[in-house]
Amino acid sequence: MTDPGAAPEPTHAPLHTVSRGRARWHRGLVRPVLQRRADVVPAAQAVAFVIGIVVALIAGALLLLAAGNDPAQVYGRMVDSSLGGINSISRTLLRATPLALAGLAVAVAGSMGLWNIGAEGQMMAGASVAAGFAMSAGDLPGPLLIVMMLIAGAVGGVILMVGPALARAYLGVSEIITTLMLVEVSIRVVEWLETGPWKDPESQGFALIEPLPDQASLPGLFGRAHIGALFAVALLVAFWLAVSRTAWGYELRMAGSSPATARYAGISLQRKVLAALLLSGGLAGLAGAIELTGTATRLDPGLSNGYGFAGIIVAALALMRPSGVAAVAFVFGAVQVGGQSIQTLGVTSSIATILQAMILIGALVAAVLLNYRVRWVRPVGHPAEESAPPAGPAPGGAPPSGSSSNPEASGV
Amino acid sequence: MSEPGGAAASPGSGDGRVVVDLRGIRKEFPGVVACDGANLTVRAGTIHALLGENGAGKTSLVNVLGGVYLPDAGEIWVHGQQRQFHSPADAIAAGIGMVHQEFRLVPTLTVFENVVLGSAPRYLNMGQIIERVAHLAATYSLQTDPSRPVWQLSVGERQRVEILKALWRDADVLVMDEPTAVLTPAEAADLGLTLRSMADRGRSVVYISHKLDEVLSVCDEATVLRNGVTVAQPRSLAGIDRSDLAEMMVGEAATQIQRPAERPSGDIVLELAGVSALSDRGLPALHSVDIDVRAGEIIGVAGVSGNGQRELAEAIAGLRPTTAGTMLLAGVDITGASPRSRSRAGLAYVPEDRLGMGLAPAMSVVDNAVVRSYRSMQRRMMLDLRRCEEFCRRLVERFDVQAGRIHEPVGALSGGNLQRLLLGRELTGEPKMLVAAQPTRGLDVAGIAAIQEQIVAQRAAGVGVLLISEDLDELLALSDRLIVMYEGQVAALMDPTQVTRAEVGAAMAGSTSTVSGGNS
Repeated sequence: MTDPGAAPEPTHAPLHTVSRGRARWHRGLVRPVLQRRADVVPAAQAVAFVIGIVVALIAGALLLLAAGNDPAQVYGRMVDSSLGGINSISRTLLRATPLALAGLAVAVAGSMGLWNIGAEGQMMAGASVAAGFAMSAGDLPGPLLIVMMLIAGAVGGVILMVGPALARAYLGVSEIITTLMLVEVSIRVVEWLETGPWKDPESQGFALIEPLPDQASLPGLFGRAHIGALFAVALLVAFWLAVSRTAWGYELRMAGSSPATARYAGISLQRKVLAALLLSGGLAGLAGAIELTGTATRLDPGLSNGYGFAGIIVAALALMRPSGVAAVAFVFGAVQVGGQSIQTLGVTSSIATILQAMILIGALVAAVLLNYRVRWVRPVGHPAEESAPPAGPAPGGAPPSGSSSNPEASGV
Repeated sequence: MSEPGGAAASPGSGDGRVVVDLRGIRKEFPGVVACDGANLTVRAGTIHALLGENGAGKTSLVNVLGGVYLPDAGEIWVHGQQRQFHSPADAIAAGIGMVHQEFRLVPTLTVFENVVLGSAPRYLNMGQIIERVAHLAATYSLQTDPSRPVWQLSVGERQRVEILKALWRDADVLVMDEPTAVLTPAEAADLGLTLRSMADRGRSVVYISHKLDEVLSVCDEATVLRNGVTVAQPRSLAGIDRSDLAEMMVGEAATQIQRPAERPSGDIVLELAGVSALSDRGLPALHSVDIDVRAGEIIGVAGVSGNGQRELAEAIAGLRPTTAGTMLLAGVDITGASPRSRSRAGLAYVPEDRLGMGLAPAMSVVDNAVVRSYRSMQRRMMLDLRRCEEFCRRLVERFDVQAGRIHEPVGALSGGNLQRLLLGRELTGEPKMLVAAQPTRGLDVAGIAAIQEQIVAQRAAGVGVLLISEDLDELLALSDRLIVMYEGQVAALMDPTQVTRAEVGAAMAGSTSTVSGGNS
């Protein structure tokens, strides 16, 4: 038995859709009130994600209609190209892999309440160090070279994170700002490498970096997918185990959830901040190296391709949970592949970016609204019998639509 | 409805007119029924005590009255009219003013700005508004400077601003949720006077408190809740004493736990010599404190809050660096040692912030249960979750923690259960020394008794105890020796059997000659 009175804390006052100041002039009218649900919607975040997808598809359809396209045709093409058949799925996996790895990188920091906004930059740094290694040790046998490149990639990500991590742990400097600023730095560095020290002598006038040795490419999985997808899954599982099943993960969760309690338990907050951020940077760097060895023939400034930034959305939608990261990354991968494919229909691929953003917005709003249900109530101070208890309307579903109105009957 | 007589002892100017009548209120939260059949009848010009143990539904009931919660069933009658409150604004419009336990003030604004926020008369200039606020404050002897920013105010002053806010909105009924929990004895006495002057002017006060003596001295009538149901509504408190009230609340007579009389003679387990430390603001907070605690001895630490007690506890626990002095735990120098190694050396610490420092609110009961022992729960690099759960179950059972499911966030537990969990966890490692800061603050009668029993049991088991408390009765009953802290120093060392409350109060106020401060 739980103690009565224990639960009241998490519940809040009803959120009013009608401001009190104006209540007077519609006295007598029934008004909708958002009331915090007593019960919790099961798997609320998954439901919110699905609602987000639906909202995004509707909004996207309106945009497509406005642009003179047939939404059904466009969406059909998107689904077919991303999920219709083994080849399409391999393309989706190709995209989902860096998204999942970047999402994981963000989620590692996020599980301690830290925001690594600069995974994009760490991916570039990781890819750069990996490429540099390959250029200087290009005659190593393939498997060894690839393993070394992946390690070099992780090191590259860590190097870019050392500054922000130390500044955050010991000076309290916001990691959000520092990691974000270093994105620009790392991309510019690659541009400089491209035109300067690492310029391919055979590229003549073009700014291109020397190509990677032939043996420096990840083995394929099926279709276009490479074994980086397996790495991503393995790392997600490892992260899940580490956070939920080890003393280290316990300390990390404690430090993120309640810093004072962690300090009280003798956990060094500084060390945990350093660990979480450096690990996050290392994973993003590894993502960069995997992307390099898996998809590219040479390093170039466009390699990270926005995956690092999309990873923030992936991690946020997944609530920093590994299983969620995998699911969201797969959906986003499909959306991106679909977005590419509809260009042949004369539709800009930025529809994919818009859809991703709409999924995020829709899911965020849905996640909040799922905690409420709509009740229809008569204005204040009406001295009629109004003792009818809230006959729980809206059994699940989206609150704004699925709420049976419950106006207490009386002659108004 | 107006019953004459009855309230003969009521000194208020009330004419027995019912201002607020809550009938058969039911309020259910996920998994718990907070109120079911709760009644509350408040008459004009009275101070009405709302009593009940933690989790009896007091706060839920007044939140229904204040428009914070919609009741699932039941009726709210105000001035003879049935009402439905859909928001606190509705309740304020009906003349219900609430002062919550956590104040709702804007720290950067001044007192008067906070008071009139959202309801400033447009036709007055600032000077006139300040004048009106000052006048209102003076009427109810609420000492405050209307032009001072709120962040500069003490807790007691902030509470006065909250009361002023309610009065400014012309509240007929002022609801105060445990108003004295945060006050010094002197401030609490002032508050009593203010509330009485409100009652004399025909307003009513609903007064939630755990402190029974205080209820008896301040209130006229009472409503007692038990498990969400109103079990008693005495129209007068004359002739009712502390144990009567306690009996109504818990259903049986509660008594103050007393330590055994015999003197401890164990070895010294904790020895502080010349310990100094800084406050959070970097100002000196502890000056050269010498304390020694023997095995099987309870040392009580009294003092008005803010005189170094918190810093003392944190310095011993290793959470606050010391600037001078040495600390020995069972003969081992722990000066500068980490919190974890002190804990390993046999130190248990129940911090003042039980939720936030002692326990992580968003983490599960299991996770919180193993804060001290998770490192020993590993098997092959992994945490042995089954052992953690097993450990947690035993803890919950042994210390009678009412925790629904052990994987729920600990923040959902009530105060008494939190404290039993925390104390139980700290005592599990068979410590040599226990530092307990405000271990019974805010708990109900049964909760206090459970915690005090544990502390006395530790004493019997040969543990040295440093008990920091603001409850003088508790200190006098439990301590073998009593220390009074004043401005970061040990101002007095007393024998609790030889001193009076008044003498302790005087030492708390920093005076060594005149007796003041102590009431009763």
